[in-house]
Amino acid sequence: MGGFLDYSPGNSFLHRLNPIVKIFLSLMICVSCFITDSPFFCIAIIFLNIVMAASAGILPRALAMLRTLIKFCTFLFLIQVFFIRDGTVLFSLPFDIYVTDKGVMFSLMMAFRLVGATLPLALMLSITKMNDLSNVLVGTLGMPYKYAFSLTTAIRFIPVFTAEMAGIMEAQTARGVAFDTKNIFRKIGLIFPLCVPLLITSVRKIEGAAISAELRGFNCRKRDSGYKSYPFRAADIGIILFAFALAAAGAFSPF
Amino acid sequence: MIRISGLSFKYEGGRDDALKNIDMTVCKGDFLGVIGSSGAGKTTLLHAINGIIPHHFHGDYYGSVKVNGLDTVDNKPEDLAGRVGSVRQDFESQMVSSVVEDEILFGLENFSVPRNTIEKRLTDALEKTGIKNLRERNIATLSGGQKQKVAISAIIALMPDILILDEPTGELDPQSSRQIFQLLRELNENHGITIVVVEQKIMLLCEFARKLAVMNCGRVILQGRVSDVLKKSRDMERAGVNCPRVVTLADRLRDEGLYDGAIPVNIPEAEKMVRSIMG
Amino acid sequence: MICFENVSYSTSGIDIINNVSFKLKKGCFTALIGANGAGKSTLARLCNGLLKPTSGSVSVGGFDTALVRTSRIAKFTGFLFQNPDRQICKNSVRDEIRFSLECVIEDKTEIGIRCEKTLQEFSLNGDRDPFSMSRGERQRLVLASILAAEPELLLLDEPTTGLDYRECMHIMECVSRVNKKGATVLMVSHDMEVVQDFASEVMVLNDGSLLAHGRTKDIIRNEPLLARASLLPPQITELAIRLGGGYENAVTVDDMVLSVKKHIRGAE
Repeated sequence: MGGFLDYSPGNSFLHRLNPIVKIFLSLMICVSCFITDSPFFCIAIIFLNIVMAASAGILPRALAMLRTLIKFCTFLFLIQVFFIRDGTVLFSLPFDIYVTDKGVMFSLMMAFRLVGATLPLALMLSITKMNDLSNVLVGTLGMPYKYAFSLTTAIRFIPVFTAEMAGIMEAQTARGVAFDTKNIFRKIGLIFPLCVPLLITSVRKIEGAAISAELRGFNCRKRDSGYKSYPFRAADIGIILFAFALAAAGAFSPF
Repeated sequence: MIRISGLSFKYEGGRDDALKNIDMTVCKGDFLGVIGSSGAGKTTLLHAINGIIPHHFHGDYYGSVKVNGLDTVDNKPEDLAGRVGSVRQDFESQMVSSVVEDEILFGLENFSVPRNTIEKRLTDALEKTGIKNLRERNIATLSGGQKQKVAISAIIALMPDILILDEPTGELDPQSSRQIFQLLRELNENHGITIVVVEQKIMLLCEFARKLAVMNCGRVILQGRVSDVLKKSRDMERAGVNCPRVVTLADRLRDEGLYDGAIPVNIPEAEKMVRSIMG
Repeated sequence: MICFENVSYSTSGIDIINNVSFKLKKGCFTALIGANGAGKSTLARLCNGLLKPTSGSVSVGGFDTALVRTSRIAKFTGFLFQNPDRQICKNSVRDEIRFSLECVIEDKTEIGIRCEKTLQEFSLNGDRDPFSMSRGERQRLVLASILAAEPELLLLDEPTTGLDYRECMHIMECVSRVNKKGATVLMVSHDMEVVQDFASEVMVLNDGSLLAHGRTKDIIRNEPLLARASLLPPQITELAIRLGGGYENAVTVDDMVLSVKKHIRGAE
């Protein structure tokens, strides 16, 4: 069980890394995807993401995400590829629509980058406890606790709201709103009014969460209140170096 | 312990007083159940005890609430939190962590509990609520009853003298509801924690609570020992609160002139009542 | 009205419903009871096609749920959830009821007539903002908007959870009224007293399997059966079972008083 972004417990090498290092690694993977010009490098990065997910025991989730991302990116690719007009024409269709080599290359890179850059952040968030994350943001990076808490709470609420939205869709389908229509534009039009109940519920839940946090001493918290410590170990240093190396490889990849 | 005198409160922008001239005393070691129809002011009353009123919700405030001698107007909720622990409705949205252990640490860390005692406080809290085996579990994978126990445990870790709970069994099935009340009884009897619980399930209150307060339209219309309050079952029904059916049965038998003993609050007592009539 | 044939349902590798078969006749009022996690809500959602069976077949009002859209089934089926806030999405009581009607009928004048009729029947103020109403009032509004469409089948998933006694009775009386007019009702509930007072049949679900399906008065007296679903009989029934000899048939407080009187007279 466990939905998108829910914490997936474990004790793998990646789980044990310092939360800061996990975030740093995933950010550097994103960066390297964007600075490289090589599609092969991007493919390698996507492959690396999958290997990392497998080592942390969340392969099924990673593959599910990959599948969704590929669907989305295929859609983007198809839109994009017809809009780029310069370069050598590879083949043409009626109505002055044609596809060029540059268009294919550009759209392909865009799709690869999107996949390569989206996966690592989501994966890292799945194997990091939100408390650990906010603790290091406060303790190591010196972020004020209020911001760190808001950030992690926002992330924590994503699955809550996803479930709420699913419940709302269910209730509306049951009363006869035709969400099961095949027409995508009609469907979007139907979903729009549902923002009202979602908003109301969200406001109520957030208000409740705020009161609960207040009652549990949220306002008393100081920078060094965290109980757990997050030392940097050799493995952490190694991963930081690896992350830099990855970004450098992205910048200077020869292909 | 808790002394409420002449308390009236109107929410900012509200039309009517949510609480009207409430006088109430909760003594150390009490187990008080609060019941009433929705909109009667039960949650507002709890908010007035833990300081959320007047510090978080503002409005017209008259009278005073003292918790262990501390006035809630002068002391903020976080200052009161070490004395009065609150478990709120909708435990799903009050959880701050993904893992049970972290959920309990949250409060301890906030109040800067010394590091060398944190581990003990944590294990004690888990032990008192009987969920030691859940320590490493992911909260999302727990059942409703277990989640509620985690929520209670996180508050118990702060070692409050008083525990106030707002409909803790609202979304639980009968069996888990009973388990939660059994836990409350243990905390009350074995650890001396005073309990104030708002609850709709009258049968649970009759069985587990020692005192009962009935609210209607912002007023406390009945309060006292459970058996005394149940004698006024007609007043309760007028306030939109149902009585357990064995109480209704006792009323009816009394009306028929067949019975004149104590009001039964559970099945064994009702059985005794009927057998005594049969002689 | 509803017919399950060897229905199983599983999601992400976990079996929720195991090989359940039953039939509900038109016009009956059936309660579905069992512990949390027994699969009650899943079963209710299988009834109107919100969920489709993994194997076996479900037919509702003659439609196979696997073959028709849920929005088609919704034209004659109402579903009341535990949380009214998931349904309410309009800014006034009247619009909310209209919206429900627009989903199932097309005739504009008919919608107007039925909307006003419903407002009157449920004594609701059409201009009120649903979000300023109490939870019980909102639940009543949702029920009203469902009943405005005059469904032949009404599915209720713990409709009274979180409501106080008075609100609970309000909802149940409305449901009982439409049942008497001929609608079929299937209600998921924990409250044995509500079940006893309103349902004519009971199904007991445990771990995804149907343990029993029978008349209410037979099921609620069967302590071992209820215990398997971690439930207790309602108070008076339990008292009657404990007392034995001559009291077994007492179900209501009135029955009990009568039995006591009869006993005393017999003793004299």
